[in-house]
Amino acid sequence: MALPSSSLDGRRLRSERTRQTIMEAYIELLRERPEIPTAAQIAARAGFSTRSIFERFVDLQGLSLATVDHAFAMGEAQAVARNVDGDRATRLQSHVETRAHTCERWLPVWRVVVANQGKLEDLRARIRFIRQAIVKRMELMYRPELEVLSAEERRDLLIALESLIDFESWGRMREGHGLSFEEACSVWVRMIDRMLPPTPPARP
Amino acid sequence: MSGTDTPPPRPARVDGRRLRSERTKQLIIEAYLALAQENSPQVPTAAEIAHRAGYSVRSVFERFPDIRTLQVAAVDYAMVQIAALAPARDSHGDRATRIKTQVETRGQSCERWLPLWRSLVANQGDSPELRQRIVLSRERVVARLEFMYAPELSTLPETERRHILIVLESLTDVESWARMREFFGLSFEEACLAWRQAIDRLLPPTPGV
Repeated sequence: MALPSSSLDGRRLRSERTRQTIMEAYIELLRERPEIPTAAQIAARAGFSTRSIFERFVDLQGLSLATVDHAFAMGEAQAVARNVDGDRATRLQSHVETRAHTCERWLPVWRVVVANQGKLEDLRARIRFIRQAIVKRMELMYRPELEVLSAEERRDLLIALESLIDFESWGRMREGHGLSFEEACSVWVRMIDRMLPPTPPARP
Repeated sequence: MSGTDTPPPRPARVDGRRLRSERTKQLIIEAYLALAQENSPQVPTAAEIAHRAGYSVRSVFERFPDIRTLQVAAVDYAMVQIAALAPARDSHGDRATRIKTQVETRGQSCERWLPLWRSLVANQGDSPELRQRIVLSRERVVARLEFMYAPELSTLPETERRHILIVLESLTDVESWARMREFFGLSFEEACLAWRQAIDRLLPPTPGV
């Protein structure tokens, strides 16, 4: 006998929620300890059985990749581009603050992903994708300044800026040099400002 | 017991034994470094190290109580080599020359030591000794930057100088070099150019020019 569609939808929804809870438990564990947790640890944290995990994910690798995708989607949702049409100072401030919040929130997870990239080609692809997204965001935020440069100069500048605002660069300012969130943001704003060419006058 | 009963000291033999033991230690360290470079970021096993060095596993553990101690000794050995292979040159040159020299020297160090650095960072774990080496290595990079760009940095207030150095160190990090080469596909020369341009933009004007 076929189940009524509302019952099917409810089951799907519950299953999706369980999936999400499992991935969030995974992320929580990564934040606490910089190594890939076991399925038993994830299950215990999520409040499900280990079997529940493997009913929803083929294996731990599949879960790891799905979690990175989930984390990236959450990171993107939290880091919406703002003030894209603002003046130079506003765009700098907005971009740096958004990026800093992302680094602050996701650095522990990023470290585990990077440390384990050698074990999984798909993980390396995710890292490449995330770096491309970071570069694209800068292209969007600093379009007026980048437009005045030749293709090669633009590429080189974006590469240098990407290094500058890397997760680990943020980590070093905060952990290694003990800068506050605001101080670290101020360093990035001033340094990006130095590196960007002058803003061309707005077109009429 | 009379003095004539005492056998004469034989320092030459002791020295020879010590020398051989020291040489074995060095060969084990070199075997570790070669394997760490080849299989980065995996830490080689004692059996692999012994095999590569041409000794028994027992010989390895006679000289190093555990792999972590060997790892620390190997990092120290590598750091001495890095310093020896990358002396500061052209420190009194004009701005463009100093930037070019510093970037090329740093680029070559990154190129040569990237696998070992990755292995060190990935396997530092809870080891305070390895963490200390990472910090020391970064401090050396900063000291070199301070030395090479002394004229420009001298024009800045203390906090600003500190901030520029933090950023320059991040920019010229080993992983930043690796990204240019592996991810963005730049040649050695192109990567050097990207760093040169970025450093030139970050540094304040050279005084007296």
